[in-house]
Amino acid sequence: MQVKTPKPTLIQKLKRFFMIDLIRGLGLTLKYNWGAIFDKDAVAGKGIYTEQYPKVRPDVAPRFHGAPRLNMDPETHDTLCIACNLCAIACPEDCIDVLAMDVEIIVAGKPRKKKVLDEFIFDTSRCMFCALCQEACPTSCLELTQDFELATYSRAGFVWNREMLEQGRETVKYTS
Amino acid sequence: MLLLAPVNILNDLLLKVFSQETINFVVWPLIQIGLVVTLVALWVAYATYLERKISAFMQARLGPMRVGPWGLLQPIADGLKLLVKEDFIPDKADRWIFFFAPYIAVASAFIVFSVVPFGPDWAVIADVNIGLLLVLAVSSVGVLALILAGWSSNSKYALLGGLRSSAQMVSYEVAMGLALIGALMFARTLSLSGIVAAQGSDSVWYIIYQPVGFLLFLISGIAENNRAPFDLPEAESELVAGFHTEYSGMRWSLFFMAEYAAMVVVAAVATTLYLGGWYFPGLNRLDVAGYHNLYVTLSLLVFLIKASLILYFYFWLRWTLPRFRYDQLMDIGWKWLIPSALINIALSALAIFIVQALDGWKGIKTIEMIDQGLNLTATGKVIMVVFGLLGLVITGLLLSRINWRGRDFNLKSQRRNIRLVDLPKGKPAVPVN
Repeated sequence: MQVKTPKPTLIQKLKRFFMIDLIRGLGLTLKYNWGAIFDKDAVAGKGIYTEQYPKVRPDVAPRFHGAPRLNMDPETHDTLCIACNLCAIACPEDCIDVLAMDVEIIVAGKPRKKKVLDEFIFDTSRCMFCALCQEACPTSCLELTQDFELATYSRAGFVWNREMLEQGRETVKYTS
Repeated sequence: MLLLAPVNILNDLLLKVFSQETINFVVWPLIQIGLVVTLVALWVAYATYLERKISAFMQARLGPMRVGPWGLLQPIADGLKLLVKEDFIPDKADRWIFFFAPYIAVASAFIVFSVVPFGPDWAVIADVNIGLLLVLAVSSVGVLALILAGWSSNSKYALLGGLRSSAQMVSYEVAMGLALIGALMFARTLSLSGIVAAQGSDSVWYIIYQPVGFLLFLISGIAENNRAPFDLPEAESELVAGFHTEYSGMRWSLFFMAEYAAMVVVAAVATTLYLGGWYFPGLNRLDVAGYHNLYVTLSLLVFLIKASLILYFYFWLRWTLPRFRYDQLMDIGWKWLIPSALINIALSALAIFIVQALDGWKGIKTIEMIDQGLNLTATGKVIMVVFGLLGLVITGLLLSRINWRGRDFNLKSQRRNIRLVDLPKGKPAVPVN
């Protein structure tokens, strides 16, 4: 059996003769070039997609979960954490350690013990950024921010303590 | 005008040391050579930058951005990097040939600029009568460098690249030379400045008379420069890097420079022959008004812009089209370009014959004068343009008719005829008849 190939129609022959497809291809690349020079909308397929990352911060998705943070009361600058340990229980990776301590306070003239936060250990190397801890937190203290630069030079650097969680980690900001 | 006064002041200063003859024939040419080498080297360097930038834009990227504003210092950084890199010569390579091949490539590319008219008067180094012949002869020496480099590297990829380049050059050099003849019939001279002057006095670009010739010259020029879609000698997906696989450091960058310089050469020759060179309508009014140096500088700029447009076309084509298969390359060279160049010569000759025969017949005046190129009157121009467009159609139709049967011998057609079923098992598929 011979393999039948369809004969080209007149339109196809003319297209081939005048090299329409070649011209259309050239037009496409020219369109991109033109759009890139005048920087049109990148999503429409005409502008530049490349982000100049260290210079310009990329926009992450609104539901992106990044570096953890312990929020503080904006007025008193005390931590919002009540050391309830719910986040540590919620964490499927078991990467949170909440260390509480008791302090003596006077409530209505009587000495009482109150459980306050002493140290908060968050192991970002094991974290999968599911934000279950954030949802478990009753005081909106623990939050996964949009910051994504988590790389460090050592394995120990991935373990964040309370100070790092409250102040944020120092990163080099590139300007050029 | 103050800006260009130094040229005259310099001439006066030189007169104190040398005689006028020495200045005219020794000092000025040396200055011109220095300027042209600098200019072309800069142009070549920034052609690499532009190539990267344009390719990036066509792919919705940014290209080099980090070195200098908009990455403008990138060519300099690249050059410095390549200068300090190790110049590695393989153990089994033919040392001396390997050593000299890049120099041949660069020299052959740069020598051509000695006859290219960048502008009128002082903007051309040497206006020789055989300018175009020299361009063709010297630029084909560049092929020798590729073959020598491929051969002496003693590497299979380099050798394959060299072989491919030699075959490609042999087939496309012919088409390139033949394509030029049509334009030469109008210019009636081989001197490049003369060709520009002929176009100027006829006030027409030869691309209008010779659309087929321009297309042929451009296509075979691209093939001659090993540029995509004809970049088989250095096809990175097949041959690693082709003939310069074993080269590194400055020697590699010499090849790179030679490639871009050859591109600039083809762009410059195409501009001179088909796009009117440095000629721009109305610009010579400046010369008449006495601003001679301004006129020359502006003409120079016009030339650079025209050539840069052709260079842009190179980049555009490279980032649009995929590479040809080797048999397709040979097919285009021998079955299409060379015959159409021959048809073009015949048709141009016929057109000129008709125009000359019509001249003075029943009051139709077609030729204005003939001493500085073929200058036509409006009637003659119309006839020529009609013939040029007809030539495009006739060439296409004729060749597609001739090459229609040629496809029967093609791999594609053979594949079509291979029996796919109906065969007892264990036997290989064989073609019918």
